[in-house]
Amino acid sequence: MIAPAVTGISLAAVSATGLVKHYGDIIAVDGLDLEIRPGEFFGLLGPNGSGKTTTIHMLATLVKPTRGAVHIGDVDVARHPVRARRQIGLVFQESALDRTLTVAENLRFAGRLYDLPPRVSAQRAQVLLELFDMADKRNRPVATLSGGMRRALDIVRGVLHEPQVLFLDEPTIGLDLPNRRRIWRFIERLRARTGMTVLLTTHYLEEADPCDRVCFIRKGRLVDEGAPKDLVGRLGRHILEIESDDLESLTAQLEPKLGECLIDGDVAFFRHADEDLSTLARLQTETASAASAWRVRRPNLNDVFLWISAGKVLKP
Amino acid sequence: MTGRPIYAVMEREVLRMFRQKTRLVSAMVRPLIWLFVIGAGFGTVIGESSGIAYQTFLIPGVIGMTMLFGAMLAALTTVYDKESGVMRMMIIAPLPHYWIVIAKVLSAALAAILQALLLIVLLALLGYLTLETDFVLLALGLVTTSLACAGIGIVTASFTRTLDNFAAIMNFVIFPVFFLSGSLYPVQKLPELLRWVATINPYTYGVDLLKHATASTGAMTADFTLANDVAVLVSFTLVAVLLASWRFSRESAYEPMIHVLTGKRG
Repeated sequence: MIAPAVTGISLAAVSATGLVKHYGDIIAVDGLDLEIRPGEFFGLLGPNGSGKTTTIHMLATLVKPTRGAVHIGDVDVARHPVRARRQIGLVFQESALDRTLTVAENLRFAGRLYDLPPRVSAQRAQVLLELFDMADKRNRPVATLSGGMRRALDIVRGVLHEPQVLFLDEPTIGLDLPNRRRIWRFIERLRARTGMTVLLTTHYLEEADPCDRVCFIRKGRLVDEGAPKDLVGRLGRHILEIESDDLESLTAQLEPKLGECLIDGDVAFFRHADEDLSTLARLQTETASAASAWRVRRPNLNDVFLWISAGKVLKP
Repeated sequence: MTGRPIYAVMEREVLRMFRQKTRLVSAMVRPLIWLFVIGAGFGTVIGESSGIAYQTFLIPGVIGMTMLFGAMLAALTTVYDKESGVMRMMIIAPLPHYWIVIAKVLSAALAAILQALLLIVLLALLGYLTLETDFVLLALGLVTTSLACAGIGIVTASFTRTLDNFAAIMNFVIFPVFFLSGSLYPVQKLPELLRWVATINPYTYGVDLLKHATASTGAMTADFTLANDVAVLVSFTLVAVLLASWRFSRESAYEPMIHVLTGKRG
């Protein structure tokens, strides 16, 4: 028996082809193709309502695609949902914990759902709780944990069965900045330890910098993808943000010198390709009276998304 | 493979039952109030029914009541699970989703049986259960009745989106099921229409089976044959599990459930 020559498909940790989801007249996902390599840290980015959660639920066997196919490793999700679920961990946007039970009781319950012997699941729970600095919270009822702790526990719950792929749907939503940073640190530790493939969604686009690769979706379609560094690099070296009472005439004055700008609300953004800031400094002195705010900073993924959404083509 | 997940769901139910002390206490107090207040009150009016004291007649009814309420409340926690997020943990676990329904039915029945056993111990201590009781039949009655009650509960849960309308469930499901059965009066003595309703109420057959078991009241107060009772209870439970599984799995995997869970389509 000779192994099939083409193994490209089975090499992907997660692959989706032509994924479409309709809810009545609403098109939530509109022809999405994804291929995520084993061990990759992949970000699915987009604003609220862009189809991220629907996509993640389709990948995780929870929502049946109207069209298209999903494979987790070589398992066809539509045909073998139970086998696929054994390979994946999913952390929902909302907590999936029993608030009335303690941390340890929740994890024992989760472990049993995955058919783990209590001793194995207790051992793994201990290791993971230590990894997330929560070992001392074992016997606390979940209701008494802070939001950040609860999210971390949700992640522990999601990886207790050592899945090949971990899906995180908005893992930092609703958390304050220190807790958001903490969750990102935990995810980093988890990846370093297990080498797990991680797919996460977030609408805090600027947070997705640590991802190996990100893709932007908007209205259920993929608009761009690449490594964060490359995508951000396409914008240039700096972003100039300007606020003014008379934004229109100020931007009209600056556009011949700085190129096309992008207006978002009452802020105008200019791209600056040079590392050298002397041109900007000179322009600032010239327009000092007209601009109420003048900020120069590095671009991030949020900027990338703004420019893409505005339909401005980004040439590398 | 599915053994351990089902055990997990059952263990959680029992853990929660013993943790919610008020739920357990009221599960004991409710039937005792019926027995001592209603039973004594009506007993003076009715006197003896079919040759036995009304209070004695009520014994199978209050054991049944404990199971009805215990199983219904436990099965209805499925709705709470949907709201609180525990259902998310279960639907992403590697087991077919109808096993969630089966696990919830089994754990609701287990909770009901434990509560009934506790009540039976209390009744025995108070001298209301004699050694004439057929304990094998009683065990059979506990298992089949609690499963049927859990079946009523899970079907109700499958049609219920939030526990906000719990009062409605109380009024339109639990009370009618309890009152329109043979718990408080012999079915044969009911007026035509009510007798007809009691005959299609599966819970009636649970109470009837318990009447067979508590031999001190004797088969004379039972309305149906033993085989009839068991057949109705078992087949109703199966139908209820099928119906609830179908409800929970409509469309595809359980998309209605995921919509309840996420509340939006992000």
